[in-house]
Amino acid sequence: MQGLLLQMLEGTVTSLQIFFLTLLFSLPLGFVVAKGRMASFAPIRWITDLYIQIMRGTPLILQLIFVYFAPFYVFGTSYDRFTACIVAFVINYSAYFSEIYRSGLQSIDRGQHEAAKVLGFSKAYTFFHIILPQVVKRILPALGNEVITLVKDTALAQTIGVAELFRVAQTASSREFSTVPIFIAGIFYFIMNYIVSRLFAIGEKKLEYYR
Amino acid sequence: MKEMIRLSGLRKSFGSLDVLKDISFTLEEGSVLSIIGPSGSGKSTTLRIITQLEKADDGSLEIAGHTLFSSVMGKAVYARPEEERLIGLKTGLVFQNFNLFPHFSVLRNITEAQRAVLKRPKEYAEEKAMKLLEKMGIADKARQYPYQLSGGQQQRVSIARALALDPEVLFFDEPTSALDPELTREILKVIRELAEERMTMVVVTHEMHFARAISDHAIFMDRGVIVEQGSPDELFGNPKEERTRQFIASFED
Ligand SMILES: Nc1ncnc2c1ncn2[C@@H]1O[C@H](COP(=O)(O)OP(=O)(O)OP(=O)(O)O)[C@@H](O)[C@H]1O
Ligand SMILES: [Mg+2]
Repeated sequence: MQGLLLQMLEGTVTSLQIFFLTLLFSLPLGFVVAKGRMASFAPIRWITDLYIQIMRGTPLILQLIFVYFAPFYVFGTSYDRFTACIVAFVINYSAYFSEIYRSGLQSIDRGQHEAAKVLGFSKAYTFFHIILPQVVKRILPALGNEVITLVKDTALAQTIGVAELFRVAQTASSREFSTVPIFIAGIFYFIMNYIVSRLFAIGEKKLEYYR
Repeated sequence: MKEMIRLSGLRKSFGSLDVLKDISFTLEEGSVLSIIGPSGSGKSTTLRIITQLEKADDGSLEIAGHTLFSSVMGKAVYARPEEERLIGLKTGLVFQNFNLFPHFSVLRNITEAQRAVLKRPKEYAEEKAMKLLEKMGIADKARQYPYQLSGGQQQRVSIARALALDPEVLFFDEPTSALDPELTREILKVIRELAEERMTMVVVTHEMHFARAISDHAIFMDRGVIVEQGSPDELFGNPKEERTRQFIASFED
């Protein structure tokens, strides 16, 4: 039993790595994508839109397989499963985050930009001090949902053989003819998501001081 | 008397819509200009071009002796970006719907630009903000957030926010249109006091009596042109143009 728990903790560490690395890259990249989606130059807008549509319109599990195996067929070389997994998660989640950012950015009244301009704030200052804080407040609930989905989606990494929590649990389960490992994995996911939703709730509470 | 604004031959269109056809006026330092006219006549667009929220298509504009744009072969050519910025600091704009920053306290709404743009020290900026809030009669609201204030109080904060940067000329775009009559009076009183202190101002308003009382000069615009301009007593009391007469008559009750 102790050996099993230890193995599952190791799997959890891998799951958490996928989780944090995905956030680390896709949270900022989502902004770049959102900017592309709102670009004044139409071709950039079309390309970005197509990318977002593909990411949202096809299963993540399929994207994982594609990202991992496509280089093998094209270049005849394969690469590290874990890297492939992170790449797939990042390009998928950047698309989802970008749409959340875009809805947030577009929900800010034009008057905020105009007031900032008339008062002489630079473009960068306006973005970081006037617009962004208001965007964050508005998108926090949607962002929270997406991050919780990410915790659960990390289980898909097993399809390309990454030894994350769910794969460890499944292997143990068939080895020991028992559903207990699967059940324990469920508890682990639940705890992770409980922490995530608590953190988002705290964030939302902190921003409740204004409307 | 120093000339604060010299605008001539201003033209602006949005697509195929000619919004401003030939707008010219001058304004002396320490005087108040009111602009009236029906909806869509181009009043806001005129203010937005002078305060650099829109670009002119043609014409020339000098603010306190500095050229923001001039007409070169039928096109408005703008000054260098640094010059544009410096000229922008000479003008302030008060919006119809306030546009306060909701995530900043009242005090910070007034200190933020002083500190970030004019690089004033915190103590100085806060002292200045408190003086302005006192003048507006809402010093007790300094620690509150915009959503906690009435519309009239929010508009007073936005006037204080504009004044804090010591603009040479202040523009008001229908500052009371979002307010009910009682709150409107509060704001008109504030603007009247500023006029008495010889603040140079341009006020777009539908408050005819108020416009007549505070301004030194008045303009009636319609469909992108200045139909008539003159002293408020002439324009409101004895308009020469039929269109002006009709417009002003529509406000009599
Ligand atoms: N950004 C824009 N794009 C296209 N058309 C515009 C834009 N801004 C203003 N217009 C049009 O220009 C015309 C003049 O608008 P403007 O806001 O200057 O009028 P106004 O005199 O301020 O009217 P109101 O009393 O309703 O505020 C209107 O027909 C308006 O629809
Ligand atoms: Mg207007």
